[in-house]
Amino acid sequence: MDLLQQCFHGMSFDLFVIQTLNGIVTGMILALVASGLTLIFGIMDVVNFAHGELFMLGAYMGVLVLATTGSFWLALILATLIVGLIGAALQITTLRPLIGRDPLTTILATFGISLILQNYALWQFGPVARKIQEPYTGHFNLFYLEYPWYRLVIAGLSAAIIGGFWMFLKYGKYGIWIRATTQDRVMAQAMGIPVPWVHTAAFAIGAGMAAASGVLFGPLVGVNHIMGLDWVLKAFIVVVVGGMGNLGGSIAAAILISLLEAYASMLGCISPAQAVIVSFVVLVLTLLFRPTGLFVPTPK
Amino acid sequence: MSATAAATEIQNTPLIGVEDLHTFYGKSHILHGISLKVGAGEVVGLLGRNGVGKSTTLKTIMGLVRPSQGRVVYQGYPITSMAPHKLARMGIAYVPEDRRIFRLLTVMENLRTGLDRGNVTDARKRELLDKVFTYFPVLAERRDQAGGTLSGGEQQMLAIARAMMLEPKIILLDEPTEGLMPRMVSQISEIIGALHREGVAILLVEQNVPLTLAASQRVYIMEKGEVRHHALASELKVGDPVIQQYLGI
Ligand SMILES: Nc1ncnc2c1ncn2[C@@H]1O[C@H](COP(=O)(O)OP(=O)(O)OP(=O)(O)O)[C@@H](O)[C@H]1O
Ligand SMILES: [Mg+2]
Repeated sequence: MDLLQQCFHGMSFDLFVIQTLNGIVTGMILALVASGLTLIFGIMDVVNFAHGELFMLGAYMGVLVLATTGSFWLALILATLIVGLIGAALQITTLRPLIGRDPLTTILATFGISLILQNYALWQFGPVARKIQEPYTGHFNLFYLEYPWYRLVIAGLSAAIIGGFWMFLKYGKYGIWIRATTQDRVMAQAMGIPVPWVHTAAFAIGAGMAAASGVLFGPLVGVNHIMGLDWVLKAFIVVVVGGMGNLGGSIAAAILISLLEAYASMLGCISPAQAVIVSFVVLVLTLLFRPTGLFVPTPK
Repeated sequence: MSATAAATEIQNTPLIGVEDLHTFYGKSHILHGISLKVGAGEVVGLLGRNGVGKSTTLKTIMGLVRPSQGRVVYQGYPITSMAPHKLARMGIAYVPEDRRIFRLLTVMENLRTGLDRGNVTDARKRELLDKVFTYFPVLAERRDQAGGTLSGGEQQMLAIARAMMLEPKIILLDEPTEGLMPRMVSQISEIIGALHREGVAILLVEQNVPLTLAASQRVYIMEKGEVRHHALASELKVGDPVIQQYLGI
């Protein structure tokens, strides 16, 4: 009883609303990171261990562009494009030659890329965290809290990017190429789809989306060379829980897990640092009871 | 005209020539020096029992498996082991045995995989679609339905229609009537006739001997990864000894 009391001490409706908002904001960023990861996995069976570093690289690009141009929006766009191009170059040089080899080789390759990028960032930018100034510093009153507008902007922009990507996949010529290649690489080739380039493009899009999330999230945490680690771990959990390669599932899982974490950190008996355990609990439960993913239709 | 005469005629202008093709899967030697030719606009049957390497021959032509020896020549150019997507853009279409419909794509999107090629005008796209929808009205009805929800026969039609979107000069057609109801089978043989009249060449792999003899101008009969017999379709009958010997029917 004491424990229960301690757990629910300080709970209130206000806090619930605030945490819901926080959960959605982190959930949208996480969904943006995870979308790229699941796209890359779905289309070329590559588990991209460098995804967190592309996120980090995006944030640093944002820092640099912001420092030179002073425009956050330009930083967001340029960082996305530049990291997208870097992603394309990485795919062509390290992953394309490995097509048809043991999947372990691609894991080692992307892991290698992640170490190189991390250490390059450390060498280039040093260990001190850089700051990205948010484009909006305004707040609005939410109960007893001054809630920053910028957080809502992040959620809205992430949703817009994901929505745009979704539309592109659904209606665009190249979106159909990506979906066809994801479903049947061999038949896609036989239909004249240049599959090697579709792989490159998918990797570039995934990298660009990671970079965009890095820039958007930068103002909340500060930018350093290991900022990708937490995110990529969580994004991996989301991708597995959502069903490997399933975009809609990943988005739903990202929001679910972030909300659960936000609610768990309300509990008096759990410190916010411990709340991250929630995502692992969801992961373990998913693997135990629904290993194909929570949000995929039950196979008939 | 005898088979040799026909062969000589095609030799001068073959659309596709396969020369002494050897293909392995790992260590197992599947094709032991296949040679065959298909002339422009010609329907050629490729017969043989299960497992003799008919599908492997088509896959090797399409660049989906690499031969260890031999070559494939298309319109006079060597295309051995070229990337399949380039071959598709050059006019070689492939309809695999297991159809390989994009199950989560709608019928229309399946067709668009072959239609969205850059240099095709919107008017031409509409013409091509109208054409396949006339041949296969059921596909028009189900254009917004996921490919995976179609019946086996409908999937076969979609696989052929999808190949037609490439405006191919030749279709590599692997067992199109396998597992289909008689009504569907006659529809498939009609479409083969229609494609022939349009001037599309077809390399037709089939188990259905009467259909193959009726649809083709020439046939090759394979055994154990080799071509054992070559004849004009009109010279063969279902009960012939060669057919019995190599196909066991
Ligand atoms: N991917 C593969 N790996 C190893 N062996 C294979 C593979 N595909 C086919 N084979 C073998 O190669 C041989 C030829 O196969 P192929 O599919 O070309 O025969 P087929 O003449 O098309 O037969 P069917 O009438 O059954 O379709 C068979 O013995 C088959 O078991
Ligand atoms: Mg076969």
